Amino acid sequence: MNTLRPGDAMLTDWREAAARFEREIAKAVVGQERAIRLLTIAIFARGHVMLEGDVGVGKTTLLRAVARGLGGAYERVEGTVDMMPTDLIYHTYLGEDGRPRVEPGPVLRQAEDLSVFFFNEINRARPQVHALLLRIMAERSVSAFNREYRFPNLQVFADRNRVEREETFELPAAARDRFLMEIGMEAPRDAQARRALVFDPRFHDTDRLTEAVGADVLDHDRIGTIASAIQHAISAEPAIETYVVGLWEALVRPGPAGIRLPGIDMDRLVQGGASPRGVAFLVRAARVRAWLEGRDWLVPEDIRAVFPEVMAHRLFLEPVYEMRRAQIVPDLIRAVFETVPAP
Amino acid sequence: MRRQARLPSPLRGEAEGGAGGTAARALGLVLLLAGACPLPAAAQVRGVELRTPRAFGYFQGDLVQVQAEIRTDPGFSLQRPSLPKPGPVTYWLDLRDVRMEESRAADGSRVIRLRLTYQNFYVALDARTLEVPGFPVTVESADANGATTAVAQVPAWKIGVSPLREVQPERRDDPAEYLRPDGRALRLDPQPALASAAGFLALAALALVLLAYDRAWWIFRGRRGRPFAQALKALRRAKRRSQGEPLYREALLALHRGLDATDGRRVLADDLPDFLGRHPAFREQASGLQTFFSASRLAFFGRDTAGAGTMLPLPEAEALLRRLGAVERSA
Repeated sequence: MNTLRPGDAMLTDWREAAARFEREIAKAVVGQERAIRLLTIAIFARGHVMLEGDVGVGKTTLLRAVARGLGGAYERVEGTVDMMPTDLIYHTYLGEDGRPRVEPGPVLRQAEDLSVFFFNEINRARPQVHALLLRIMAERSVSAFNREYRFPNLQVFADRNRVEREETFELPAAARDRFLMEIGMEAPRDAQARRALVFDPRFHDTDRLTEAVGADVLDHDRIGTIASAIQHAISAEPAIETYVVGLWEALVRPGPAGIRLPGIDMDRLVQGGASPRGVAFLVRAARVRAWLEGRDWLVPEDIRAVFPEVMAHRLFLEPVYEMRRAQIVPDLIRAVFETVPAP
Repeated sequence: MRRQARLPSPLRGEAEGGAGGTAARALGLVLLLAGACPLPAAAQVRGVELRTPRAFGYFQGDLVQVQAEIRTDPGFSLQRPSLPKPGPVTYWLDLRDVRMEESRAADGSRVIRLRLTYQNFYVALDARTLEVPGFPVTVESADANGATTAVAQVPAWKIGVSPLREVQPERRDDPAEYLRPDGRALRLDPQPALASAAGFLALAALALVLLAYDRAWWIFRGRRGRPFAQALKALRRAKRRSQGEPLYREALLALHRGLDATDGRRVLADDLPDFLGRHPAFREQASGLQTFFSASRLAFFGRDTAGAGTMLPLPEAEALLRRLGAVERSA
């Protein structure tokens, strides 16, 4: 159902580019179609992404493949307990002539050209580092060496593994809210993909694997323009506005919305969260999804396709239920979609 | 027959027996004890009376009714465990039943009435008198200071028993002729009992059906609302109320609500294959539903209600709803 107007040939071209980008990534990462689709949506929605999952499911490989496909400068840091914000900005050393030198750190090294900043194991870094990251993510700028650096094309990808809890620092709510999506990654369920991952030597060398991805499939300089064009081109009817507001209301106040989950006091389940910024992000991501599907109007399925990844991490539960979050929140979201009528 | 038995009180006897110096001190002590007791044991049981309908003419197997009336001071009552237990009393006599009632006499004393039913098994060859043994019962009065008990002796009494036949009956050839013919039993009419049994059976069945309906057992298990029938009704109501585009949108909404209610969740366009998988009965309507979802998308989200109207005209939407309702009824 291609209803894009012919005048939007640019958007059509870019949609083909996006499809090519997805195909390239899929060469390196098998069985993760949903994660790849969500990452593509995040790229065209200009949102930062957090990947979450077990060790060795391919988080880093996926992000490296994306960085390669996206082109532009790419920096990567590993979160550690002793990392300080200054480690990101500059590093000092003694030069060959014995004089101290100060050089820009990972964030500033590529200056304005930086398009992908990849933060590995983000929950191992201290809150001070999270604070710096908050500024970089929210404003795409940082002050250093007596001036302000701006990164117009910057996208932050972070990952954390959810197995370890020791010597880790939970991200503050404000920082989590800045991420457009939190994508949970699991090993592929498909037996064929699993066999290939384990026995095919192609998947054992991640460097060679990421090299298989065609470089610079997308022109990272123009993604900002095209992202804004997408947001203007995709229209939202009053029916979809009502639907999104209904979903929002049901998510924050599930009790009055008539949602019941076994063994849970629905009136005391949700403490807060689901910020207006979050819901705005939701619509932004949904519009990109509609564009990828070849429509110039939103349908409820667009909202549903991105809802868990965009909204789940913005919801704060009462402490009693927080420990069972991984089980409760998906149930709650499913119930919300089973309850709110569309149209 | 009336028979009185006045029971001698041990306390009274002791008081009467006291004489002399030491006896006087003993008397004083006894009086002191009597004064200390709120209820002196002396006149706790005022008397026992036996009443029988007749004292003679009992045959083998006859029931012998007797009433024992025990008068006591106010506040006393019978200790039920002290009553004789129904069962054999002597080799020729059984106690069948003991009933008891208590009442208050005009002068304030308590009257305990025992109604005893004996059965006589004595095979008498001549008329003679036999003694029915008496028995003791205990009466007690309980208050805040403790319980006082006293024993009332129901005295023995006599009944006259008689033989059923002569000792040497007339000689018969057939020993069976010595037996008397059986008495004629009353013929009972079973009709009322049968009718009430049938009535209660019908009531029970009705209650069971109601319970099964309430709990959705048995044939009510598959019972559901008929969402598409309701949607059709809603559409007919909407037809009276509105027309044109609003009516068309209401028709689509009615179909949506019917699908939602059938599935128990909200069905979006992309969910159609899953919906048909869960409800295979509607598979024949797949193409119609597909068209409906496309039209609904256009109308609600694509800002093109007119285009939707040509894709799925209103009469066709109504026809689809009617077909879905038919499938729903037969499913």
